[in-house]
Amino acid sequence: MHNTEAKERVSSELHYELSQHYYQEATLLQNGEFNTWIETFVAKDLHYWMPVTERRYSKDKRPEPTPYDMAIYNDDYDEVKDRVARLLTGAVWMEDPRSTVRYLITNIEAFHTDKDDEFVVRSNFVVYRHRGQLEHSEHVGCRQDLIRKVGNGFQLVRRKVSLDARVTEDKNLYIFF
Amino acid sequence: MVDINKLVDTKSSTQSKEVFWDQEVYDREIKNIFGRSWLFLTHECMLEKKGDFITTKMAEDSVIVTRHTDGSLKAFVNSCTHRGNSICTADSGNTKSFVCNYHGWVFSTDGKLVDVPLREKCYHDELDRDSLSLKTIRVESYRGFVFGCFDETAPSLEDFLGDWGWYLDTWMVGAGEGAELVGPPMKSILKCNWKVPTENFVGDGYHVGWTHASALHVLGGELGGLAGNQAEMPFDELGIQVTTRHGHGFGVIDNAAIAIHAKRDEYAKYMEETIPKVAENLGEPRAKLFNGHWNCSTFPNCSFLYGTNIFKVWHPRGPHEIEVWSWVIVHKDMSDEGKREVVKQAARSFGTAGTLESDDGDNMVQSTQVNRGSYTREGAMNSTMGQGYEGEHPDYPGIVGSSFIGETSYRGFYRFYQEMMSADSWDDIRANDEHWADCFPNKNYWKDRIAAKAAEAEGE
Repeated sequence: MHNTEAKERVSSELHYELSQHYYQEATLLQNGEFNTWIETFVAKDLHYWMPVTERRYSKDKRPEPTPYDMAIYNDDYDEVKDRVARLLTGAVWMEDPRSTVRYLITNIEAFHTDKDDEFVVRSNFVVYRHRGQLEHSEHVGCRQDLIRKVGNGFQLVRRKVSLDARVTEDKNLYIFF
Repeated sequence: MVDINKLVDTKSSTQSKEVFWDQEVYDREIKNIFGRSWLFLTHECMLEKKGDFITTKMAEDSVIVTRHTDGSLKAFVNSCTHRGNSICTADSGNTKSFVCNYHGWVFSTDGKLVDVPLREKCYHDELDRDSLSLKTIRVESYRGFVFGCFDETAPSLEDFLGDWGWYLDTWMVGAGEGAELVGPPMKSILKCNWKVPTENFVGDGYHVGWTHASALHVLGGELGGLAGNQAEMPFDELGIQVTTRHGHGFGVIDNAAIAIHAKRDEYAKYMEETIPKVAENLGEPRAKLFNGHWNCSTFPNCSFLYGTNIFKVWHPRGPHEIEVWSWVIVHKDMSDEGKREVVKQAARSFGTAGTLESDDGDNMVQSTQVNRGSYTREGAMNSTMGQGYEGEHPDYPGIVGSSFIGETSYRGFYRFYQEMMSADSWDDIRANDEHWADCFPNKNYWKDRIAAKAAEAEGE
């Protein structure tokens, strides 16, 4: 499901457009504009995936996790939409007062695919979350996306989020990465 | 000074707040509870082939569990007998031996020291390898679920589970094939005392409607009605709560096994086909439980939701922190498609980014951290809900409470907690086998209630 082959790198103009798209996405998520994000930045055929990856010895020949295996996120469009809907019920006690989440998105590399309107985009992230008085956490990792050109903008079709930490040092990962 | 013998008051159903905070209490727990109880390690499906291993924890001790070359299960402390280095740093794998990174000592899959570098030249062949095996841990399994115990005098795993085994068989045997766990486990840190999530899973039907209001609103369906703890719900008729001799317990919501799973076509089909087989195999009382949703804890620190099918261990890391490990339970005789559906849905609701589990984190952490204040932690916590509305039941072993919203299982958990904390040995605990349920004095509760129901039905 996540094996779309990356071909040659995109032009600097396209790279700029894609970068701007990523920064806008981060701004929406930082501002809690989850409805705008799911409705305009996300494609209806979405697969949003965060696998669980064990620590294994290098001699271990078992295959990498697939979307059929244990995952922290393994959602289609409607499932992500339900996660957004939960945040907007007004009954998520730990989000009132709201926590702040800050996205640092770097190392954006974008590639053409077999389809003219679809691109493989890799990026690194650091996500900082602060809550209450002193509570804070940070999450570091990378994303491998399939992004589709739609009208003047782009939509997320597939996202694989790989976290660097084996043990999550946070209450939860209820954050859109 | 904390009086260890007065942490729990079983008469008034209260516990000192020190149980969530005090270091001395925690140190005693490590010795008296984690040092003596059977602790969950893994499922045999993760150790199918000879040489398969997993690493896990028993409280704060790192352990390795293996399928040895003779086919038996072995467990030992993950620390070299030379200078103490951890000998295995992978989560799982298959190996002939474990080699310590420090000086290269080699241990076989039963923990024996089989080789050391420069044995002849530098140890002059005088090293007594037989006395340098890794420290072994008792290991037993129940229906494929593997547990370890540090205490040679502890009862067998089956006796430690006791009546809880009768309940576990409902799904660990089920229609015959039983169940297994799917990993690798999700892992996360939570800054709470290990007992807060354990008590939450063992007996907290009360918090569901309030804490999880947001997720229940979005989910709708059978459990949607619980959102906001509406007063008109007939809670007494919707399920029961149970506690047993060694602290294990659970609450059941009738007919709601699969209710948390938003997508459940395969699971629903499986349940429909399987319930009559469970009735045939194990009888009607357990067939009814098979179709219910359970919140459970196996004493001391292993919890699960049967139905939603998340399975957790709360590894303590001092009194104020835990490491949470989460697997998913699947029935072995389910279709592959059904298993995948269950894994995905269970992780979605109760994994690290769970739509319900994410609601609980603050409750766990704050109930612990608030006790930083010395005036705050004076006094006691209350678990009196439904006290007296519980007793021995004609169909179900242990002590049975009248509703899944009640604190029967809290009372049973802390009753055994206090017993272990104040006992000097397993002999002390065994001496109380006949009298453990004395603190549940309403012996005729179910007899009277069932008779009253029958009379009422006759009157109509």
